[in-house]
Amino acid sequence: MIHSPANDLSKEISVGMGQAVVTREPARLTAILGSCVAIALYAPRLRLGMLGHVVLPNCNGSSIASPAKYADTAVPHMLAVMQAHGARPGELIAKLAGGACLFGGGQFMDIGQSNARVAVAALEAAHVRIAARDVAGTMGRRICFDLATGGLTVASPGKPSQTI
Amino acid sequence: MIDVACPDHAKLDLLRELFASATHDASAAMCCWTNSVVTLTLDEICEIPLQNVCVDLNLGDEPVTMVVFNLDGGANGAMIVAFTEQSARRLAASLLETEVRQGPAWTDLEQSALTETGNILGCAYVNAITRLIDHQIVPSPPHFVVDYGASVLQQSLLGQAGATDKVLIGRTRFQHKDAELNWLLLFIPTTALRTVMERG
Repeated sequence: MIHSPANDLSKEISVGMGQAVVTREPARLTAILGSCVAIALYAPRLRLGMLGHVVLPNCNGSSIASPAKYADTAVPHMLAVMQAHGARPGELIAKLAGGACLFGGGQFMDIGQSNARVAVAALEAAHVRIAARDVAGTMGRRICFDLATGGLTVASPGKPSQTI
Repeated sequence: MIDVACPDHAKLDLLRELFASATHDASAAMCCWTNSVVTLTLDEICEIPLQNVCVDLNLGDEPVTMVVFNLDGGANGAMIVAFTEQSARRLAASLLETEVRQGPAWTDLEQSALTETGNILGCAYVNAITRLIDHQIVPSPPHFVVDYGASVLQQSLLGQAGATDKVLIGRTRFQHKDAELNWLLLFIPTTALRTVMERG
């Protein structure tokens, strides 16, 4: 789902699982991440940004009604949306966060790592510069993507927040 | 809480009956464990769009104290028992017969008391469901986790997220002598387990 909240620029907009939201400054895009990975794309010239909340690494031919749900379809989808909003491919920068494993056991404990790996591969294949990343680990993350600056603030329980 | 468009009301009704029975058994187990009148009430079982699940379940933006375990046995899933920090500290103190201690750290004994609470709840719940559907579900050893509830929920939902954009969650609340406790139990089956459960 893509959301262009032209009338809501002053607010924080929460990006849910499988969603991707595009907007401009001074809006801020937020998400809480566990195994999911957030892909933040930013066009500094336009103060335009998009946050994708990726749940799984590969769509494997599944229905792509929700392209942002999968890392391999989210990246091309987000790039297309950013370009449709005036961004030039070469000016985009990306930041990544998330991809943790919060508790062991079960069949999905490696999904976070896979999400991050596929997202990185898709961005590199599209020649998008990855400016920063805060991925993996064993803790959740609460993130805020500030479209005024392109900064991605990451907070985890028990740790001071940092802007990458 | 939103009960989003249910494509098969009969199946959801069956699941509600299943969860209600499990809640009854878990309630009895909790009364014994806490030596108190702690009852469980099946709040709802619902299908929620994946993108809305964290907001709709209102797990907040601050860390919560949780006991989490996987459900194994072929058709899998996860259970989360979540407490606010204060309610978790009160429970631990009650079980250990000590004064309520403030954080941020948790002693090994406190973690053990909460983990065992989750274990007792979860096993009672799962045993009831296993008996009713005649399909073995084996809870993993419990994990004590202090983290954002939404973060833990994400990992637990992966067994459904690959197959659907609407996820099924059973939510159970707790009461102590008619006052609501800030505890929550979430039962999150994989798509495969849901199919087994719907067969009855």
